[in-house]
Amino acid sequence: MVRIHEPGSEYVLNFCTKHLGRSGDPPPPDDENATATFRGQIAEAWRFPIIGLVREKDVGPKADDLNLVTFVYKSRSGDQSPVSVLGTFASLCEPLPLKPVLFEGEDTGYRSVSVTVPKGELHTYKFLVQGNYYPDPINPQRVRFGNGRVWSRFFTDEYLQPLILELWELRLLYRLVEQILPFRTAEAENFLQRHYFSLDKGQKVTQMAKAFRLDDSVGEVNAIDKLLAREEAHRLVDYRVCLKQIDRALRALNPYTDPYLIPAEQYIELYNSMAASRPGDGSVPGWDYAAYDNPAFFIYLLRRHAVSTAFSHPKYAGNVGAAGWAYLSERYADKAGATLFDWEPALEKPLGTSEYYR
Amino acid sequence: MIDKFDVVIIGSGAGGAPIARQLVEKGKSVLVLEKGPLLRPSYQVPGERSDFRRDEVYASGTEKILRVPGVANVGESYYSSHAEPDINDEPHVYRGVKKLPDGSEVPADYATIEGYTAQLVGGGTQLYGGVSLRFTPTDLRLKSFNAGRRTPLQDDPNGDALAGVRDWPVTYDELEPYYALAEELVGINGQTKNQVKPFRTGPGGTPGPGPSDYCYQRPLDPNPISAFAHAGMVALGQRLPGNIEPYRPPLAVITEDHAPSGRRLPRAKNGQPDREAAKTSYVNRYGDPLGLKSNTWVSLLSPLEGNPNFTLRPNCVVTHLTSTEGRVSRVHYFDPGGVRRTVEGKLVVVACSAVESVRLLMLSGQEDPAFATRINSSGLLGRYFLTHCFGGARALVPGRYDKSKALDADWATDCCGTDEFLEANGLWAGAAIYNNTSDQALPLSLFRTHGSTDLDTLWKGFMYKPQMRANGFINFLDYEFGRGLSVSFMANQVPQRDNRVELHPTVKDKWGRPVAYVLKTWHPHDVYLMKLMADQCAEILRLGVASSHPTYDIASDYDLNRKYDRNNEYGGSLGSGGVYQAENALARMANHILGGARFGTDPTDSVLDPNCRAWEFDNLYVTDGSFMPTSGGANPTLTIQANALRVAAHLLKRL
Repeated sequence: MVRIHEPGSEYVLNFCTKHLGRSGDPPPPDDENATATFRGQIAEAWRFPIIGLVREKDVGPKADDLNLVTFVYKSRSGDQSPVSVLGTFASLCEPLPLKPVLFEGEDTGYRSVSVTVPKGELHTYKFLVQGNYYPDPINPQRVRFGNGRVWSRFFTDEYLQPLILELWELRLLYRLVEQILPFRTAEAENFLQRHYFSLDKGQKVTQMAKAFRLDDSVGEVNAIDKLLAREEAHRLVDYRVCLKQIDRALRALNPYTDPYLIPAEQYIELYNSMAASRPGDGSVPGWDYAAYDNPAFFIYLLRRHAVSTAFSHPKYAGNVGAAGWAYLSERYADKAGATLFDWEPALEKPLGTSEYYR
Repeated sequence: MIDKFDVVIIGSGAGGAPIARQLVEKGKSVLVLEKGPLLRPSYQVPGERSDFRRDEVYASGTEKILRVPGVANVGESYYSSHAEPDINDEPHVYRGVKKLPDGSEVPADYATIEGYTAQLVGGGTQLYGGVSLRFTPTDLRLKSFNAGRRTPLQDDPNGDALAGVRDWPVTYDELEPYYALAEELVGINGQTKNQVKPFRTGPGGTPGPGPSDYCYQRPLDPNPISAFAHAGMVALGQRLPGNIEPYRPPLAVITEDHAPSGRRLPRAKNGQPDREAAKTSYVNRYGDPLGLKSNTWVSLLSPLEGNPNFTLRPNCVVTHLTSTEGRVSRVHYFDPGGVRRTVEGKLVVVACSAVESVRLLMLSGQEDPAFATRINSSGLLGRYFLTHCFGGARALVPGRYDKSKALDADWATDCCGTDEFLEANGLWAGAAIYNNTSDQALPLSLFRTHGSTDLDTLWKGFMYKPQMRANGFINFLDYEFGRGLSVSFMANQVPQRDNRVELHPTVKDKWGRPVAYVLKTWHPHDVYLMKLMADQCAEILRLGVASSHPTYDIASDYDLNRKYDRNNEYGGSLGSGGVYQAENALARMANHILGGARFGTDPTDSVLDPNCRAWEFDNLYVTDGSFMPTSGGANPTLTIQANALRVAAHLLKRL
């Protein structure tokens, strides 16, 4: 049973005006081309639906396990047409009506509804406008089902299943990223194992499961998959094209082995040759420069993605169980053994230990 | 919806909020229009989860791609804060140079995120580091000081460095009581001892007994790494005139319960106030979820909530002002739904940051030629645009420290701001110097600012060092994590008539309005000043480290191929420099954007009168940093707040 919340107009408008406010009326929902143009002009359209935090006063201590998901539809001020949302997060036979968002008592033209959805979930939805179903005109995340129908998609924090990349792509990415991050040195592997095994029983059930499901040191490959699904969807094409080229190049280096199983030295050889290459110079054996002419750029991109996912807040699905931070906090300690990266007191429970910040 | 007020204020940051606070307290009806959202600290949110997060992705987000048509950096990446406007929606464009393949350079326009401090209720004070220094008396009378100087000015080949310099029409003594009032109302911790600025006014505006710390809350213990900065500032002070010692810099973070705003420190389990609660290094470029950082929302405006005289309309974009015979008759804005609305104020205060205020006045002039004639009767609207000469030095220091528990700065010195220092070095103006403690304290900030010179080059240094991987990455962390210390200076930029803000001829914002176009250069004397001040910062680090580690080699660059050895540490280069060296230095705004509508006593030589009223309007005031004729040798926020309080006192006499 889905639960509807009322975070208030101020909360909804704080997102709407910055991202959606601009001159001109929104296009009619049945005009696909105009809708695509409208969406293309929105800065950070990926922020919709709004994936926010749930207030403890509304749901009690389980607030930590939930997100507040707010669906927004942009209409015209005074337009009385009802809008509702139908999705897998609630009953699929009962659309939830969106309500007008008011400013000082007057209609802004925005319609919204907020529901709680557990963290770590993936859902699809559509808007019901004037008797017809449409994908969300704002949210760029869409899925096309086997029957050809297009639905809008969202996922909540800490979603840990692969979403965008295929298994072979994830496996290659895993091998590439481990050449960048500090976690595949013997010392660091030892740390990561100790870190997961030192968690208490409850944490172990969740964090161990996450770590092994990812087959990955601190979850960064999974987090990159999420980044490419949402915030940096514009970079998906770089990954699609380059992982294919990397597969080709590795097969050129070692024709008899599955690229995933190739020794690390050959990954390093490829990494170094990509990094040293110049646009269009043809220096990376097996790489099709007509498909992607700057292999070094992909290395730069991967470097940024690898470290930003391994060391950012675990809600982004990398740095699982804060293992990236824990690595730093164990590595750097004073002579008495006290850590020199004591990150926990600043952060919210249960991740951190702050008594005030939630 | 009410549409008539005593005062309409555009912008809720340092220039607007103090006026709102003072006028509402005296029973005047005030409307504050703010373009950005109202994000609240947790104590104002039922359920206690603030929309500000201690999350490094909030300070500089995921990658976005610039797609402003016609600018030379289209297609480039940028990483903005959740509280900054999107550059694609509302770019600031500046004139820079583009290198052609043959090595020659041609002028070209670029979009930049520098110059936007933030766009939300509280403005830039939501994200700032909180350094709340007063300007010196000399900062406000640089024309007079230089007219009487004994030594020649260095690096002024055309003799024009002083041509655009003006004394402020307000003296330090006149501003001093308002500095004291701002310090009291905002909520600042720090120390007056060893500051060269006179502190005269006592509690509640009474004449004070001379320097005392009444105006500040008690500072927190400094981070241990800052001991090097302290030792270096002591040693540098001993070598310069006056033997001036360092002080704990005033920071707009409360460390005690703050009566004027009603804010309380969080209570620890034993019931005692936790003074250290804000010390997290999620400070500079972060909104504070606990509301301990004294932004203008928590310190000045939110205490007015519920007062029937106070109306705040966030998410409302002012498009232009219209006037009738020298009176602003209506303020036009889009409400959050994009509906056009207007309001009337007996008085209208524009305070939406220097670039945007100048732009708003120019846009109003485009709508109405009579407005344009009046607002720019001096021909100076947008001119004498200023930022700061800033820069500093950075080094790796001996040992390792937990920098994740810090505020923005721990020690400051005025030893390079005295008249004697300026005379001795042929400088036209001085600088405040302080160390930065929270910079590069957290992992992502260390990676993304490694080797970058500004917000426009984030990540580039790290991305482009592919050899820094696996063990090489660990080696980098061993060298850098918890070991970097930087010391910065903040100094006046030479005012030049042609440094200016205009409306861009072709680039429009998402509402179809011309965007701001910034044209500016550095004077040769600016470059001289920045080199000299950066050298002082480097000297502080060198002397500070030498005082306890005489054999430590601070100046050698480290080599990632050489394994870090904790028993044989060395410096990692004593890098120093000024903003003029950055790739896009022409446009660098250092987040301090000032001037463009300077105040003065002569209507032909200034845009605003001494009360910050536009000369040919009866009821139009401009109170953000654009009023400044010179940019001051310190961070500008406290001075903007103090001046706004001064203007508020004047406005009260008119209402």
